[in-house]
Amino acid sequence: MSSPDGAPHVVIRSVSKRYGPLTVLDRVDLTVARGELVTLLGPSGCGKTTLLRLVAGLATPEEGAIAIAGRDVTRVPPHRRNVGVVFQSYALFPHLTVAGNVAFGLAVRGRPREEIDRAVARTLSLVRLEHLGSRRVSALSGGQQQRVALARALAVEPEVLLFDEALSALDRNLREDMQVELRRLLREIGATAIFVTHDQDEALTMSDRIAVMNGGRIEQLADPKTLYARPATLFTLGFVGQSTRVRGTVAAAADGVVTVDTPVGRLSAMGHFAAGSPVVVAARPEHLNVVADAAGHDGGDRARNRVDGRVRAVIFQGSRSRIEVEAGGETLLAELPGRGAADLRPGDDARLVWPVAETFVYPDPEARP
Amino acid sequence: MTARLAVAFAWLAAVVTVVFLMAPLATVVAASFSPSPVFDLPLDGVSLRWYERIGRLDGFWPALSLSLQIAVLSTAIALVIGTLAAIAIVRGRLPGAEALATALVSPLMMPGLVLGIALLQYFRAIGFTATWSALVLAHLIVTLPYVARTMIAGLALFDFTLVEAARTLGCTYAGAILRVMVPALAPSFLTAGLFSFLASFDNYPVSIFLTDVRTKTLPIKMLQYIEEAPDPTLAALSTLILAATVILLVASDRLIGLHRMAGTAE
Ligand SMILES: Nc1ncnc2c1ncn2[C@@H]1O[C@H](COP(=O)(O)OP(=O)(O)OP(=O)(O)O)[C@@H](O)[C@H]1O
Ligand SMILES: [Mg+2]
Repeated sequence: MSSPDGAPHVVIRSVSKRYGPLTVLDRVDLTVARGELVTLLGPSGCGKTTLLRLVAGLATPEEGAIAIAGRDVTRVPPHRRNVGVVFQSYALFPHLTVAGNVAFGLAVRGRPREEIDRAVARTLSLVRLEHLGSRRVSALSGGQQQRVALARALAVEPEVLLFDEALSALDRNLREDMQVELRRLLREIGATAIFVTHDQDEALTMSDRIAVMNGGRIEQLADPKTLYARPATLFTLGFVGQSTRVRGTVAAAADGVVTVDTPVGRLSAMGHFAAGSPVVVAARPEHLNVVADAAGHDGGDRARNRVDGRVRAVIFQGSRSRIEVEAGGETLLAELPGRGAADLRPGDDARLVWPVAETFVYPDPEARP
Repeated sequence: MTARLAVAFAWLAAVVTVVFLMAPLATVVAASFSPSPVFDLPLDGVSLRWYERIGRLDGFWPALSLSLQIAVLSTAIALVIGTLAAIAIVRGRLPGAEALATALVSPLMMPGLVLGIALLQYFRAIGFTATWSALVLAHLIVTLPYVARTMIAGLALFDFTLVEAARTLGCTYAGAILRVMVPALAPSFLTAGLFSFLASFDNYPVSIFLTDVRTKTLPIKMLQYIEEAPDPTLAALSTLILAATVILLVASDRLIGLHRMAGTAE
């Protein structure tokens, strides 16, 4: 029961939500498999929290349907949905102890005393807080409060766990530890989870799949590796990871490869566009290699793009260096690991070389039709 | 050097203030134990004879009972209405929330006399003559600001995500309010109730306009006693009221902590 078994567990179908004139969610579709962790990733205000609240039942969509474990819950109130929510502020009950908080959901359900005690003990040991059951929640550290909130949500054995920026209140080191620990814990118990974050590293670390959201829609839904390697839209490319880009016009297209005229020269990229289309050509900086000696011998290699320019800046970032290269009035960004940039100086001539297979091309959003 | 002087001066000022505030109370307490029938400090021995006489004061028990009824009832109603109003103000994104809050709290700043006269004329004008109900209504106006003010402050600090958390854990909306919001706001309720009760119980200026010969609250009756026979029985009664108030405050403090009541803690 450690990996998603593929059976749809949470099905969100064409859901729209409006607040007054504002359309916060616009016909969103999303299916989460049993045991899967899907992250909603996107900038502030894109509707992540709203989508989560719709699944929890704390808000109702104007259109569309939501089903959990095969049951249509679109209009079912939250207390009859059996979901577990971990809030950003944790929302722990201040008048109850740690154990009281964890027991809350079961006590509300009227379960017998011994069953509750057993469940509380089990859940607290799951989050490694077994020794703190009698503490007041105000006497806990942020990380401990986070675990209590998780234990409280887990104790009722919910169909789906919902996390709204659950780790963002923790400081960086603790957050990174919790990401790994939480991921392992959720795998262990086979939990189905939807995880909201606007932190791309967190999304890449934790998710089986990531739904990149923008303006109330899902731009791309894919596993982290695919999302990073093949961003479907310019927005996804910009939101997940670094990129370097240049605008141009398609000169020719053949066999899924387009040739684009740009200010830095003629570039090739993977894509289908008609000749004459305005496009943006982009690549991940780590794929760009910097060759100091421009008089190289790989002149005929059609699987690579080549740009000759001049080094403008070398920015040392510890485990890697970023190199800005100016060519044809544009600035391209390359990233070299380790001390690969040790002998580069601003003003040096440099040639950028990178695989065509790692070059993306998107329609230019600013071009006039 | 100057800093030390300033601290010393601040201390002195504090002591003087406390003495100034406490002196009248101390005088009343001392006078209540006086063996002599003049309202004076007991210089020749201690006696409890005035305490025995409290119960025999003419019309004391009905007045006490009336005051308690009015105070308890107006406080209870004020707690419900005041809390609902506070929720509307804090949560309801009403257009005039600020103005409503100011209006609710304004009787706090209104002189009791003015309020009393206004109510008297108003009740006369609409032909409302039932003394008891008039008193409850009037005291509701007196107590509501205390409740509203305390509850607005309490609710402003209350995280309504707690209610949502309770709902996702299996509570109905009403259940979530009862199981989470009410206990979390218990200190505010207690504070509001306490201040409201005390404000009603010793209110004189509003009540005086609304009482009749047979229906008099304790403060009014006390002033009447002191006009008729200024002996230390009144001092004894005052001491008892003082003691009851202190016990109430100490008990509340034990329960929730005065600092939380005063709203200075998280
Ligand atoms: N109750 C509401 N009434 C009116 N507008 C709302 C309400 N809740 C959310 N919105 C609006 O809906 C949009 C999406 O909000 P939402 O909280 O879902 O964003 P988010 O993606 O979670 O952002 P963040 O990363 O800042 O938390 C925002 O423009 C917000 O102002
Ligand atoms: Mg949000």
